[in-house]
Amino acid sequence: MRRRTAALALGTAATMVLTGCSSMSGSTADGTVTLNMVESLTNPARTDLIKGLIADFQKQNPKIKVNLISPPTEQADQKIQQMLQSGSGVDTLEVRDTTVGPWSNNGWIYDMKKDLTGWKGWEAMTENAVKASQDAEGKTYFVPYGFYGLSVFYRTDLIKEAGFSKPPATWDDLLEQASAIHDPGKRKYGYAFRGGANAQGNATAIIEAYVADEIDAADGFKLKSGKTIFSAPEALDAMQTYLKLFKEASPKSSVSWGYPEMVEGFSNGSTAFLLQDPEVIATVSESKSIKKDQWSTAPLVAGPSGKTVQPLATAGWGVAKGSKHKKEAVKLVEFLSEGEASTDFTKTNSLVPILKSAAEDPFYKTGPWSSYVTMTENPDTYLNVSQPRGVAWWAEWQQKADADIQKMVLGKTTPKELLAGWDTYWTEKRQ
Amino acid sequence: MPTASTTTSTTQTAKTASAGASGNGGSRPVRKTRPGRRKPEFTARRGFLISLFMAPAAIFVAVFTYYPMIAGSQMAFRHWNLTDLTDTSWVGLQNFRDVFADPAWGTVLSNTAIWVFGSIVPQLVIGFALALWLRRRFRFRGLYQALIFFPWAISGFLIGILFRWMFNSEFGVVNDLLQKVGLIDEPVAWLADPKTAMFAVVVANIWYGVTFFTIMILAALQSIPEELYEASALDGAGKVRTLFQITIPYIRVTLALTVLLRVIWIFNFPDLIFGMTGGGPNNETHIVTTWMIKITQQGDYGRASALGLIVVATLLVFAVFFLLATREKREVKP
Repeated sequence: MRRRTAALALGTAATMVLTGCSSMSGSTADGTVTLNMVESLTNPARTDLIKGLIADFQKQNPKIKVNLISPPTEQADQKIQQMLQSGSGVDTLEVRDTTVGPWSNNGWIYDMKKDLTGWKGWEAMTENAVKASQDAEGKTYFVPYGFYGLSVFYRTDLIKEAGFSKPPATWDDLLEQASAIHDPGKRKYGYAFRGGANAQGNATAIIEAYVADEIDAADGFKLKSGKTIFSAPEALDAMQTYLKLFKEASPKSSVSWGYPEMVEGFSNGSTAFLLQDPEVIATVSESKSIKKDQWSTAPLVAGPSGKTVQPLATAGWGVAKGSKHKKEAVKLVEFLSEGEASTDFTKTNSLVPILKSAAEDPFYKTGPWSSYVTMTENPDTYLNVSQPRGVAWWAEWQQKADADIQKMVLGKTTPKELLAGWDTYWTEKRQ
Repeated sequence: MPTASTTTSTTQTAKTASAGASGNGGSRPVRKTRPGRRKPEFTARRGFLISLFMAPAAIFVAVFTYYPMIAGSQMAFRHWNLTDLTDTSWVGLQNFRDVFADPAWGTVLSNTAIWVFGSIVPQLVIGFALALWLRRRFRFRGLYQALIFFPWAISGFLIGILFRWMFNSEFGVVNDLLQKVGLIDEPVAWLADPKTAMFAVVVANIWYGVTFFTIMILAALQSIPEELYEASALDGAGKVRTLFQITIPYIRVTLALTVLLRVIWIFNFPDLIFGMTGGGPNNETHIVTTWMIKITQQGDYGRASALGLIVVATLLVFAVFFLLATREKREVKP
């Protein structure tokens, strides 16, 4: 009896060790295929939404089962990397513009170009979305599900009080209005400056706006002449304006402000201007400190030429190269990228949509969303420029650039030195 | 005014008692087995069965702890960048050279020293004081204990985020209180100013780590026999003297080991800094381990592994020296 118990315990322990925690993907005898799908920018509400979309997909495709894996956001990309490296266990996955470079470089993700030839979904997509689905060599490693783009969140009541009739249209307007409102003694601040994590995003946005006339549309950090945007004299004007914006119109501590502080600064009613993604609309709408009629959004501010560049960040769904069920995995990507599934996903997640039909949707036509639609509909003013976010050194660049911006606003380096450093960095990396 | 003889006798009493308590003083008691039951014999078959039962855990640890450690250390001598794994060639000590050549390395090292010693000394002093206070009997002692131990149950990263908001210049409670009390006229940008950011993260760490010392020291204090205090009171020793000649000598083993453990932990504790400043502003609050995470995030696993090995080597050297230096104090001579 005792021996049997021991054997049983051993068997159980061995099984536990051997099975580990892997979920099996594969096909069963009746031909049912199980796909493993991994998301990266996980949050509970979004996970529920994806599960709902998967349920619809399974209804339409009874022979395909989808198993969703949702690692916590902070470690998700690293987890996905490990899965991809092991060569199995992933079929469909979330690929971001910042991860596509390294992952395709290492041969971990699948080029869906051939599979998607003739797919009717392309026709329904905006020009931005079609463009974002191809890398520099024309390969399709992911189909974007939406965009994160900047617009100006502003306080309608505060600009009126300061004597301005409309929101800022250029960076100079923004500096003027924000400085007029800024009064730290009364705990009123002009602009929610981004000095902390991902500070480079807004800093490069102003530089791109200033060089909009000469920018290379295929690579947002290059001029048509082939030099980097940081080498242009206009870039220096941009950085000087940006530094003024910090010194004359931003809270002192915004040297270290990242996303949460910026959004808090605007939604607690203390800060008049904020440059942010559409997902902030939902957060600000829930604010108890500012009412619906006290704020709105305006299109991204322009450079001296009246034009600006939309620094769109994107992510989408792709397929792992190691997947044994590529056909079914691509089918899932198609499903998520068209019709109601796509519209649901972008609306619930507050993303700039990928479908043309969104422009007619009352949801996007009114209120804070309208400025994003305005930008998408006017590509001559709000230029579509691809950001080089897929380069292998993007993460290194972000960290370097963030530290440099902090140096500049702390007075440890000048705009000129900063730009010279960035110019050298990109010139050397590109060689 | 106690004389020299009372001092000696008090210390002797402590030493003898602690010797008895630690089991080095007397001979080992003989274990009695219950009547009518033989002690199970150790046979090869039994040994095999025991090994079989231990195997799953051993395999688990080997696969998930030792293998990654060894694999990770060889990464330190290779070009291993996640952004391009097509070339993982052997580069010898290049990764180490890159680490030492980094302009921020000096700051990272001095920050690590400030972080470890600036945290540990106040933690020890405050933790000790709290333990002495909690040892006494008073109303709601249990509640106070629970409140003091509570921070230990929260993740360091979360504490970092809490303190990041508390120290926020415009919306934070720290500036608000200081202004209300009249200690500052205008808000201090704690985390945005390189001069104050390191101070702020150390303060947060002191608050977080005091608990551990309190728990450990309180447990040790409760093992001191009451007779010792009675004897020292009879000898006429005052509070301070009792503290230095009874309490501290009696619990010095716990103190030494706690300090050693805490140094290793604090050295290896990037969570709080990561949540609070992310190493900023301008890399001014990076310690070795946050620096390692930063490099990992850039995908340079080779350089990050080199840093990891540097951390392991440093702590190993520290632990050996510390244990040698405190061996005298930790050994109990009857």
